Amino acid sequence: MKKIPRRDKLKIYGDLLSVLRSEGDERKKVVLTHVQVQINVPFDRLKNYITELRELGLIEGEISLELTEKGRQYLREYERILEFMKRMGLTY
Amino acid sequence: MFATSMYPIERMIVESVAAILCLILVRFMIKPYKLTRDGAFLGLPLGFAFLGISYALAAISYSPLGFPQELLWLPLLTRSFAFIFLATTYFFSNRKSKNGYLLGELTISLLAIALAVLLLIAFVAPEFAFNGYSSANVYLRFVNLICLCYIVIYTLRSHVRNPDPATIWIPFGFIFLAISQYSLFFWYIDSSFSAFIGSLITRFVGLAIFLFVSYRTFYGSNEKKGTK
Repeated sequence: MKKIPRRDKLKIYGDLLSVLRSEGDERKKVVLTHVQVQINVPFDRLKNYITELRELGLIEGEISLELTEKGRQYLREYERILEFMKRMGLTY
Repeated sequence: MFATSMYPIERMIVESVAAILCLILVRFMIKPYKLTRDGAFLGLPLGFAFLGISYALAAISYSPLGFPQELLWLPLLTRSFAFIFLATTYFFSNRKSKNGYLLGELTISLLAIALAVLLLIAFVAPEFAFNGYSSANVYLRFVNLICLCYIVIYTLRSHVRNPDPATIWIPFGFIFLAISQYSLFFWYIDSSFSAFIGSLITRFVGLAIFLFVSYRTFYGSNEKKGTK
Protein backbone atom coordinates (compact mmCIF):
# COMPACT_ATOMS: atom_id res chain seq x y z
CA MET A 1 0.00 0.00 0.00
CA LYS A 2 1.33 3.43 -0.93
CA LYS A 3 2.25 5.46 2.13
CA ILE A 4 0.52 8.85 2.25
CA PRO A 5 3.02 11.53 3.25
CA ARG A 6 2.38 13.33 6.51
CA ARG A 7 0.45 16.55 6.01
CA ASP A 8 0.13 19.26 8.58
CA LYS A 9 -2.87 21.52 8.97
CA LEU A 10 -1.27 24.24 6.90
CA LYS A 11 -0.89 21.94 3.91
CA ILE A 12 -4.46 20.69 4.27
CA TYR A 13 -5.69 24.32 4.41
CA GLY A 14 -3.69 25.03 1.26
CA ASP A 15 -5.06 21.98 -0.56
CA LEU A 16 -8.62 22.80 0.53
CA LEU A 17 -8.40 26.44 -0.57
CA SER A 18 -6.87 25.35 -3.87
CA VAL A 19 -9.72 22.91 -4.56
CA LEU A 20 -12.35 25.50 -3.58
CA ARG A 21 -10.74 28.06 -5.90
CA SER A 22 -10.68 25.72 -8.88
CA GLU A 23 -14.29 24.66 -8.24
CA GLY A 24 -15.24 28.33 -7.96
CA ASP A 25 -13.35 29.24 -11.15
CA GLU A 26 -15.23 26.52 -13.02
CA ARG A 27 -18.47 27.97 -11.58
CA LYS A 28 -19.36 24.60 -10.16
CA LYS A 29 -21.55 24.17 -7.11
CA VAL A 30 -19.21 23.01 -4.37
CA VAL A 31 -20.06 19.45 -3.37
CA LEU A 32 -18.35 18.61 -0.10
CA THR A 33 -17.99 14.91 -0.86
CA HIS A 34 -16.08 15.81 -4.07
CA VAL A 35 -13.84 18.13 -2.08
CA GLN A 36 -13.34 15.39 0.52
CA VAL A 37 -12.18 12.96 -2.16
CA GLN A 38 -9.84 15.49 -3.72
CA ILE A 39 -8.06 16.48 -0.51
CA ASN A 40 -8.32 13.05 1.06
CA VAL A 41 -9.56 13.76 4.60
CA PRO A 42 -12.45 12.26 6.61
CA PHE A 43 -15.76 14.12 6.21
CA ASP A 44 -16.03 15.22 9.88
CA ARG A 45 -12.53 16.69 9.77
CA LEU A 46 -13.29 18.42 6.49
CA LYS A 47 -16.25 20.15 8.13
CA ASN A 48 -14.01 21.26 10.99
CA TYR A 49 -11.46 22.66 8.53
CA ILE A 50 -14.18 24.57 6.70
CA THR A 51 -15.40 26.07 9.98
CA GLU A 52 -11.85 27.07 10.86
CA LEU A 53 -11.23 28.64 7.46
CA ARG A 54 -14.51 30.54 7.73
CA GLU A 55 -13.51 31.82 11.17
CA LEU A 56 -10.19 32.95 9.73
CA GLY A 57 -12.04 34.88 7.05
CA LEU A 58 -10.49 32.90 4.20
CA ILE A 59 -13.79 31.52 2.86
CA GLU A 60 -17.39 32.70 2.90
CA GLY A 61 -20.89 31.54 2.02
CA GLU A 62 -23.15 29.00 3.63
CA ILE A 63 -24.41 26.96 0.66
CA SER A 64 -21.81 27.80 -1.97
CA LEU A 65 -18.31 28.09 -0.51
CA GLU A 66 -16.17 30.82 -2.03
CA LEU A 67 -12.74 32.21 -1.31
CA THR A 68 -12.66 35.71 0.14
CA GLU A 69 -10.10 38.24 -1.12
CA LYS A 70 -8.03 37.41 1.99
CA GLY A 71 -8.30 33.71 1.12
CA ARG A 72 -7.15 34.30 -2.47
CA GLN A 73 -4.25 36.40 -1.23
CA TYR A 74 -3.27 33.73 1.29
CA LEU A 75 -3.42 31.01 -1.37
CA ARG A 76 -1.27 33.04 -3.79
CA GLU A 77 1.38 33.55 -1.10
CA TYR A 78 1.18 29.87 -0.09
CA GLU A 79 1.65 28.71 -3.70
CA ARG A 80 4.56 31.12 -4.20
CA ILE A 81 6.32 29.73 -1.15
CA LEU A 82 5.68 26.13 -2.26
CA GLU A 83 7.12 27.02 -5.67
CA PHE A 84 10.12 28.65 -4.01
CA MET A 85 10.75 25.56 -1.89
CA LYS A 86 10.45 23.38 -4.97
CA ARG A 87 12.93 25.56 -6.86
CA MET A 88 15.30 25.45 -3.87
CA GLY A 89 15.12 21.65 -4.02
CA LEU A 90 13.34 21.38 -0.65
CA THR A 91 10.35 19.16 -0.03
CA TYR A 92 7.40 20.18 2.10
CA MET B 1 50.59 35.89 5.77
CA PHE B 2 50.81 36.69 2.09
CA ALA B 3 47.59 35.13 0.92
CA THR B 4 45.32 36.99 3.36
CA SER B 5 46.95 40.38 2.86
CA MET B 6 46.58 40.55 -0.94
CA TYR B 7 44.40 43.34 -2.43
CA PRO B 8 42.87 44.50 0.88
CA ILE B 9 40.72 47.35 -0.52
CA GLU B 10 39.35 45.29 -3.42
CA ARG B 11 38.61 42.39 -1.09
CA MET B 12 36.90 44.67 1.40
CA ILE B 13 34.58 45.94 -1.35
CA VAL B 14 33.93 42.45 -2.71
CA GLU B 15 33.22 41.01 0.75
CA SER B 16 30.88 43.91 1.58
CA VAL B 17 28.88 43.41 -1.62
CA ALA B 18 28.68 39.65 -0.96
CA ALA B 19 27.45 40.36 2.59
CA ILE B 20 24.72 42.68 1.25
CA LEU B 21 23.64 40.04 -1.31
CA CYS B 22 23.38 37.42 1.44
CA LEU B 23 21.34 39.68 3.67
CA ILE B 24 18.92 40.33 0.79
CA LEU B 25 18.68 36.56 0.30
CA VAL B 26 17.81 36.07 3.99
CA ARG B 27 14.61 38.09 3.38
CA PHE B 28 13.52 35.48 0.84
CA MET B 29 14.86 32.43 2.66
CA ILE B 30 12.96 33.20 5.86
CA LYS B 31 9.60 32.98 4.03
CA PRO B 32 9.28 29.14 4.09
CA TYR B 33 9.94 29.20 7.84
CA LYS B 34 7.48 32.04 8.40
CA LEU B 35 4.79 30.07 6.59
CA THR B 36 5.41 26.61 8.02
CA ARG B 37 6.96 27.49 11.42
CA ASP B 38 8.91 24.28 10.88
CA GLY B 39 12.26 24.55 12.67
CA ALA B 40 13.93 22.40 10.00
CA PHE B 41 13.50 25.27 7.50
CA LEU B 42 15.23 27.70 9.86
CA GLY B 43 18.57 26.39 8.56
CA LEU B 44 18.03 28.17 5.24
CA PRO B 45 17.80 31.76 6.56
CA LEU B 46 20.35 30.96 9.29
CA GLY B 47 22.73 29.62 6.66
CA PHE B 48 22.51 32.71 4.47
CA ALA B 49 22.58 35.02 7.51
CA PHE B 50 25.80 33.42 8.76
CA LEU B 51 27.24 33.51 5.26
CA GLY B 52 26.48 37.25 5.17
CA ILE B 53 27.98 37.74 8.64
CA SER B 54 31.13 35.86 7.60
CA TYR B 55 31.53 38.09 4.52
CA ALA B 56 30.89 41.20 6.64
CA LEU B 57 33.52 40.05 9.18
CA ALA B 58 35.94 39.36 6.34
CA ALA B 59 35.27 42.88 4.96
CA ILE B 60 36.07 44.36 8.38
CA SER B 61 39.27 42.30 8.58
CA TYR B 62 40.46 43.82 5.27
CA SER B 63 39.41 47.37 6.19
CA PRO B 64 41.94 49.98 7.33
CA LEU B 65 40.33 49.71 10.78
CA GLY B 66 41.87 46.27 11.04
CA PHE B 67 40.85 43.22 12.99
CA PRO B 68 42.63 41.55 15.94
CA GLN B 69 44.92 38.89 14.44
CA GLU B 70 43.62 36.21 16.84
CA LEU B 71 40.05 36.67 15.61
CA LEU B 72 40.86 36.28 11.91
CA TRP B 73 39.41 32.79 11.92
CA LEU B 74 35.96 34.08 13.00
CA PRO B 75 34.82 34.65 9.39
CA LEU B 76 35.99 31.11 8.58
CA LEU B 77 34.04 29.65 11.47
CA THR B 78 30.80 31.51 10.73
CA ARG B 79 31.10 30.56 7.04
CA SER B 80 31.49 26.87 7.86
CA PHE B 81 28.50 26.99 10.17
CA ALA B 82 26.54 28.69 7.40
CA PHE B 83 27.20 25.75 5.06
CA ILE B 84 26.49 23.25 7.86
CA PHE B 85 23.12 24.94 8.52
CA LEU B 86 22.26 24.77 4.82
CA ALA B 87 23.29 21.10 4.54
CA THR B 88 21.25 20.26 7.68
CA THR B 89 18.17 21.90 6.16
CA TYR B 90 18.47 19.75 3.04
CA PHE B 91 19.25 16.63 5.05
CA PHE B 92 16.07 16.94 7.14
CA SER B 93 13.77 18.41 4.50
CA ASN B 94 12.41 15.06 3.30
CA ARG B 95 12.06 13.44 6.71
CA LYS B 96 8.33 13.75 7.09
CA SER B 97 7.77 11.62 10.18
CA LYS B 98 7.17 13.33 13.53
CA ASN B 99 10.57 12.07 14.70
CA GLY B 100 12.21 13.47 11.58
CA TYR B 101 10.78 16.92 12.33
CA LEU B 102 11.93 16.77 15.94
CA LEU B 103 15.37 15.53 14.96
CA GLY B 104 15.72 18.35 12.40
CA GLU B 105 14.78 20.99 14.95
CA LEU B 106 17.04 19.41 17.57
CA THR B 107 20.02 19.34 15.18
CA ILE B 108 19.54 23.00 14.21
CA SER B 109 19.32 23.95 17.90
CA LEU B 110 22.44 21.92 18.76
CA LEU B 111 24.36 23.53 15.90
CA ALA B 112 23.34 26.98 17.12
CA ILE B 113 24.52 26.06 20.64
CA ALA B 114 27.81 24.65 19.28
CA LEU B 115 28.43 27.86 17.36
CA ALA B 116 27.64 30.00 20.41
CA VAL B 117 30.05 27.92 22.55
CA LEU B 118 32.82 28.18 19.92
CA LEU B 119 32.34 31.94 19.65
CA LEU B 120 32.48 32.21 23.44
CA ILE B 121 35.70 30.18 23.53
CA ALA B 122 37.08 32.45 20.81
CA PHE B 123 36.44 35.58 22.83
CA VAL B 124 37.51 34.18 26.20
CA ALA B 125 40.54 32.14 25.10
CA PRO B 126 41.23 32.26 21.36
CA GLU B 127 44.27 29.97 21.68
CA PHE B 128 41.99 27.05 22.66
CA ALA B 129 39.73 27.33 19.65
CA PHE B 130 42.20 26.10 17.05
CA ASN B 131 45.88 25.39 16.92
CA GLY B 132 46.28 28.08 14.33
CA TYR B 133 44.68 30.01 11.55
CA SER B 134 46.39 27.92 8.85
CA SER B 135 45.07 24.57 10.00
CA ALA B 136 41.61 26.06 10.70
CA ASN B 137 41.56 27.52 7.21
CA VAL B 138 42.27 24.17 5.55
CA TYR B 139 40.00 22.02 7.73
CA LEU B 140 37.05 24.38 7.66
CA ARG B 141 37.21 24.87 3.90
CA PHE B 142 37.23 21.10 3.57
CA VAL B 143 34.07 20.95 5.74
CA ASN B 144 32.51 23.66 3.53
CA LEU B 145 33.25 21.62 0.42
CA ILE B 146 31.71 18.46 1.88
CA CYS B 147 28.54 20.35 2.87
CA LEU B 148 28.26 22.01 -0.54
CA CYS B 149 28.85 18.72 -2.37
CA TYR B 150 26.08 17.12 -0.31
CA ILE B 151 23.67 19.96 -1.15
CA VAL B 152 24.59 19.79 -4.85
CA ILE B 153 23.92 16.03 -4.96
CA TYR B 154 20.67 16.46 -3.02
CA THR B 155 19.31 19.25 -5.23
CA LEU B 156 20.40 17.48 -8.42
CA ARG B 157 18.66 14.27 -7.32
CA SER B 158 15.57 16.28 -6.47
CA HIS B 159 15.69 17.82 -9.96
CA VAL B 160 16.16 14.43 -11.64
CA ARG B 161 13.16 13.01 -9.73
CA ASN B 162 10.90 15.85 -10.90
CA PRO B 163 12.53 17.42 -13.97
CA ASP B 164 11.51 21.04 -14.36
CA PRO B 165 13.51 23.84 -16.01
CA ALA B 166 12.87 26.02 -12.94
CA THR B 167 14.61 23.63 -10.51
CA ILE B 168 17.94 23.30 -12.33
CA TRP B 169 19.22 26.76 -11.27
CA ILE B 170 19.71 26.09 -7.57
CA PRO B 171 22.08 23.09 -8.02
CA PHE B 172 24.16 25.36 -10.29
CA GLY B 173 24.15 28.06 -7.61
CA PHE B 174 25.58 25.60 -5.09
CA ILE B 175 28.04 24.21 -7.67
CA PHE B 176 29.41 27.73 -8.15
CA LEU B 177 29.74 28.22 -4.39
CA ALA B 178 31.57 24.87 -4.17
CA ILE B 179 33.94 25.89 -7.00
CA SER B 180 34.54 29.13 -5.13
CA GLN B 181 35.59 27.23 -2.00
CA TYR B 182 37.73 24.86 -4.08
CA SER B 183 39.48 27.80 -5.75
CA LEU B 184 40.17 29.34 -2.35
CA PHE B 185 42.04 26.15 -1.44
CA PHE B 186 44.41 26.74 -4.35
CA TRP B 187 44.69 30.41 -3.61
CA TYR B 188 45.60 29.62 -0.03
CA ILE B 189 48.18 27.00 -1.05
CA ASP B 190 49.99 28.77 -3.89
CA SER B 191 48.59 32.35 -3.89
CA SER B 192 47.49 31.85 -7.48
CA PHE B 193 45.93 35.05 -8.83
CA SER B 194 43.60 33.20 -11.19
CA ALA B 195 42.32 31.01 -8.34
CA PHE B 196 41.67 34.13 -6.27
CA ILE B 197 39.77 35.91 -9.05
CA GLY B 198 38.00 32.66 -9.96
CA SER B 199 36.80 32.17 -6.39
CA LEU B 200 35.35 35.68 -6.24
CA ILE B 201 33.64 35.42 -9.63
CA THR B 202 32.12 32.01 -8.92
CA ARG B 203 30.92 33.18 -5.51
CA PHE B 204 29.11 36.12 -7.10
CA VAL B 205 27.65 33.95 -9.85
CA GLY B 206 26.34 31.53 -7.20
CA LEU B 207 24.79 34.29 -5.09
CA ALA B 208 23.35 35.97 -8.21
CA ILE B 209 21.63 32.70 -9.16
CA PHE B 210 19.99 32.45 -5.73
CA LEU B 211 18.88 36.06 -5.97
CA PHE B 212 17.53 35.55 -9.50
CA VAL B 213 15.55 32.44 -8.50
CA SER B 214 14.17 34.10 -5.35
CA TYR B 215 13.22 37.32 -7.11
CA ARG B 216 11.62 35.48 -10.01
CA THR B 217 9.56 33.30 -7.68
CA PHE B 218 8.23 36.09 -5.50
CA TYR B 219 8.07 39.04 -7.90
CA GLY B 220 8.12 37.46 -11.34
CA SER B 221 5.04 36.73 -13.42
CA ASN B 222 3.11 33.81 -11.97
CA GLU B 223 3.29 31.26 -14.80
CA LYS B 224 1.48 28.59 -12.82
CA LYS B 225 -1.35 30.80 -11.64
CA GLY B 226 -4.53 28.88 -11.35
CA THR B 227 -3.08 25.59 -12.49
CA LYS B 228 -2.90 23.99 -9.10
